Amino acid sequence: MRFRAHASIARALLAVAWLAPAAARAHQATHEVARGSAIAVRALEDGQGMAGAAWQVFSPSDAARPHQQGLTDTHGWLAFVPDAPGAWRVRVVEEDGHGLDVLVEAGPTAAVPTPRPAGWQRSAVGVVAVAAAFVVLFVTYRRRPRA
Amino acid sequence: MHVPDGFLSPQVCLPAYAACAPLWAWAARRHLGRDAVETLPVVGTLTALAFVVQTIAIPVPGGTSTHLVGVTLLALLYHPLLAFACQSLVLLVQALFFGAGGVTVLGVNALAMGLLGPLAGWLAWRGLRPLFPRAALFVAGWLSTQAATLGVAGALALQHRLDPAYFPVPPAATLAAMGLPSLAVAGVVEGLFTTFALALVRKARFRGVEA
Repeated sequence: MRFRAHASIARALLAVAWLAPAAARAHQATHEVARGSAIAVRALEDGQGMAGAAWQVFSPSDAARPHQQGLTDTHGWLAFVPDAPGAWRVRVVEEDGHGLDVLVEAGPTAAVPTPRPAGWQRSAVGVVAVAAAFVVLFVTYRRRPRA
Repeated sequence: MHVPDGFLSPQVCLPAYAACAPLWAWAARRHLGRDAVETLPVVGTLTALAFVVQTIAIPVPGGTSTHLVGVTLLALLYHPLLAFACQSLVLLVQALFFGAGGVTVLGVNALAMGLLGPLAGWLAWRGLRPLFPRAALFVAGWLSTQAATLGVAGALALQHRLDPAYFPVPPAATLAAMGLPSLAVAGVVEGLFTTFALALVRKARFRGVEA
């Protein structure tokens, strides 16, 4: 009789031990690491990261409600995990009115954006463009005398 | 100082373009027309110089940076309207080639940096020149920066009031973040630049420039 009681208790304990892992999910916080699925964007102002700036990301399917928002890290980085391919809008707003509003392509065929020209290249291209505008005006007026 | 594309709604951008259009036409006719052909080389050179100084970042405590505008010089040598036209060209090149500022906000940036700033500097210079000729140049440069900053901050504040989704930062925070570097750093450097650049231009005795 006593042996049968012990056997029942043992069976019950075995059943609890077998079922416990499934039931224990109730208050369990887990995590998973997926490498290569997030898009990281660095917001730069004059080559320096925009640290602590407010940012929002809008999915291609909802232009009105942000998919995600937050603050950039100390180096100006933000990251999001797109759940659909297409052009994702990224806005970064600093208090002084600086910031950016760009489209970032997501998906297997997304192209990597070409880097912006360096400071001296910008100056050179700008000077040439401005000079060209004035040279065109000057030459036009010189070649066609007043009627 | 530029407002980037996407920070201002059409409610702000379109009236700015409407205000700019007649001013651009007037400036082109009066200062860039056939009668001004002799001044075009100097004006073009100073516009290119303004483009270059606007690409130079001046570090400001707190991790951000600012830059000169440089067109107040054109306002003092010729007319504020010419400075407006030249700054508009600089902003257009920056927007089209480098994505700085933007085409949708071009009118707002042009009014603030090209018209308000140089006009304030020109008025200050006209008022102070008889009393303090050299100080008047510095004040003109300093004041032009403050006026341009107030113009940009005002446009952002108006946008926040109309629809904060475009620009979520409250006006007081924007004014503090823009005003302090402008008062303490950018304005001072602009004042020095205007003083020395104008002295050099006058020394060079360019054609069409008053001595």
